[in-house]
Amino acid sequence: MSAVAQPAKLELLEGTTAIARAAILSDCRFFTGYPMSPFTGLLESMSDLMPKSGGSCVNVESEIEGVNMTLGAAATGARAATGSCGQGVALMQEAIAEASLNETPIVIFNMARNQQDYFQCTRGGGWGDYRTLTLAPKDVPEAVEHTQLLFHLADKYRVPTILYGDPLIAQTRVGVRLQPLDLPALPPKDWALDGSLGGTGRSRQIWTWALGKRNAPGPGPDRHWQELAEKFESMAASEQRWEAQHVDDAETVVVAFGSAGKFTEYVVDELREEGHQIGHFRPITLWPFPGEALAEATRGARRVLVFELNAGQMIEDVRQFADDRKAIRAIGGISSADSGLSFGPLLDAPEIRGRIIAALKEEA
Amino acid sequence: MDVVTTDRPPGQEASKVAEAYPSLLLGDHSLCPGCGEPVALRILLETLQEMDLVQKTIAVVGHGCYGNFVQIIDLDCTLCLHGRAPASATGMKRMRPESVVFTMQGDGDMVNEGLAEIVHAAARGENITCILLNNGVFGDTGGQQTATTVIGQRTKTSLEGRDPALHGHPIQIADIIAGLDGVGYVARGAVGTVRGVARTKKMIREAFESQLAGEGLSLVEILTMCPTGWFVTAPEGPDYLGESMESVYPMGELRARPNGEAG
Amino acid sequence: MERSVLMVGIGGQGIQLIGKTLALAATESGLNAMLAAEYGGEMRGGTSQATAVVGDGPIRALPILPRTDSAIVMHDKFSGAVPERLDADGFLMLNSSIVDPAKAEGDHTLVSLPATDMAREIDAPQAAGLLMLGAFCRLTGIADHDHLVAAMTSLLPPYRAQHAETNSRALAAGAAAVSERDLAAVSV
Repeated sequence: MSAVAQPAKLELLEGTTAIARAAILSDCRFFTGYPMSPFTGLLESMSDLMPKSGGSCVNVESEIEGVNMTLGAAATGARAATGSCGQGVALMQEAIAEASLNETPIVIFNMARNQQDYFQCTRGGGWGDYRTLTLAPKDVPEAVEHTQLLFHLADKYRVPTILYGDPLIAQTRVGVRLQPLDLPALPPKDWALDGSLGGTGRSRQIWTWALGKRNAPGPGPDRHWQELAEKFESMAASEQRWEAQHVDDAETVVVAFGSAGKFTEYVVDELREEGHQIGHFRPITLWPFPGEALAEATRGARRVLVFELNAGQMIEDVRQFADDRKAIRAIGGISSADSGLSFGPLLDAPEIRGRIIAALKEEA
Repeated sequence: MDVVTTDRPPGQEASKVAEAYPSLLLGDHSLCPGCGEPVALRILLETLQEMDLVQKTIAVVGHGCYGNFVQIIDLDCTLCLHGRAPASATGMKRMRPESVVFTMQGDGDMVNEGLAEIVHAAARGENITCILLNNGVFGDTGGQQTATTVIGQRTKTSLEGRDPALHGHPIQIADIIAGLDGVGYVARGAVGTVRGVARTKKMIREAFESQLAGEGLSLVEILTMCPTGWFVTAPEGPDYLGESMESVYPMGELRARPNGEAG
Repeated sequence: MERSVLMVGIGGQGIQLIGKTLALAATESGLNAMLAAEYGGEMRGGTSQATAVVGDGPIRALPILPRTDSAIVMHDKFSGAVPERLDADGFLMLNSSIVDPAKAEGDHTLVSLPATDMAREIDAPQAAGLLMLGAFCRLTGIADHDHLVAAMTSLLPPYRAQHAETNSRALAAGAAAVSERDLAAVSV
């Protein structure tokens, strides 16, 4: 038997189908969803594919119901996920906090309509002290990798994790190879509820308050929540991801995430070939934000141009970490299609190029 | 046969020959004297033991005074979000169909916050058993009105007594659920009297039998005393329950199990 | 190597189907492909556009193309005869049954085909788009007939499966309609 695995074959898949297939490849066995554009394709794909691989997919009656079902499934040890767009994820905030604080691993697919949910995933709208690990792929092939990574990291740290998708990732069809990522093995989930320890005096409990049982007291909310805070700090230190190109001698660095990052990278490459000393930095984890890497990438740059399709969200994290705050300029903005369901005209290479050129012409 | 005389004290010291305290309870509850919820818990745990289901049962407990039961029940359990227990239980049962999954919710939990969850779980025919502890108040937060508070009942948010003109009418959730396809068994009991306790325990057993037979969602509503929330003394609780609640929520089977069918 | 095709028309002309067919045929023959689609809410008569990029490695092109090497215009209502983003020296195919080639001034290479009329003539009135695609692929070599037919067939939803044969004839008819002169013009 050959030690080298055969590469998976190229398949033309719509983004949401590719993500569904990647989730199933990661042994996701439970999925819930409520139709909402552009997440709907993911629900439909899961509806079709999940039962065929022995799992369960429920088209739920509300996003709140859905995320709570997913929590239940995950509590029994199964890999479970749900998703929506920003509006639906807004309804799930309590449950995301709950899962963070009672240590239930789930994956949430925010197939967002634009880039306006950056605060939602990085700051969170739930209660208590928690952070949510969020990956923002730039295209479908990266989304396929990130999906697998998110299930792995959710289990590794016993936390909810988020994929920040968007309409282009959801609806573009790309030839992808559904290659399983080579990820380290994880310990068994002995905390998972299966009923087996009933009556033994060692029965399990999943509770944000973590008070434990009378015969086996737990740390209680004070110590438990402090321990969780330490866990999030350790995740912050070790799970940052980013990509940087041509930053070493760059006078100007463009910063963008997600699909916007794919467009800015394209334009920066063009400008580089035309002789501009310009570089590119793309945070891949929105939380934990790769602050030190950004600081290093932008050190010495005269201009740090932040391109995001919102009124200025990621730029706050850029300001927090960049050495020279005066070098920072916002060159993006809100841009929505008339339907309200997708990006507007600003997500376009000529537009982006125009804005970068204009910024280069201004005196720093 | 030895006849034991009773005209003088026994010659030997008394000794404990049996423990009537259920072994599934890891400690005392901390609820009010006169509360009906521990009674309901006890008959439920006894039923699980009698049916030999203890090592395959997962409990999903909602938010209320009974929430603290997660500290004293020797079962694999979770305390889930307010109202969402049927949804959480759905995920669990679908992933572990060989487990017995039950929810325990108060009326505020199930009928206020969680109305959508219980209705949809029932309509979908999820094979879980839902236990509703109905005392007509939000007990844990001090006794405010819920969707099951009866007309005339005084609560912290209806101090003059519930008035339909101001506060609307109570919802008989068990009747609504009993009318849905997808349901296997629905019954309503009460733990204010010895007879009620015995009848309710039988209903709980029927409900778990229904789950084991895969008949759909089973619901047992249990009227429980809440003297604190009702502004009465502990000994007055059972009478108050009978007088104020049982006429609005009559005991009995609202949806019998399918006859002779095994799911 | 990456090649891009912008396909435009109105809803009902099968633009989305030909886009998917091309991308899938390319993928099945071992190439990398990307397909982005844009369409309005109307089922018929609204704007419909598909962008396919085919290459021999992971696609670097953006899902919203700043420029395209080639374009197929089945209807000019929303794009004009010459789509704005077509390279000045790109390749343009027009459906001359609807679009007047005289409107297509420019340095691009132009091949016109009365696709709608031809489709009617071969009794495949709904397959004008596929007929055009057959011609396009014959001219550019971007995908071969067998892969196109297999892709098209697998893409048909159950309620359209009965059209597979007709569609297949349309693909073939388009390829057959390509003249030596057209081939010569394109290969320059």
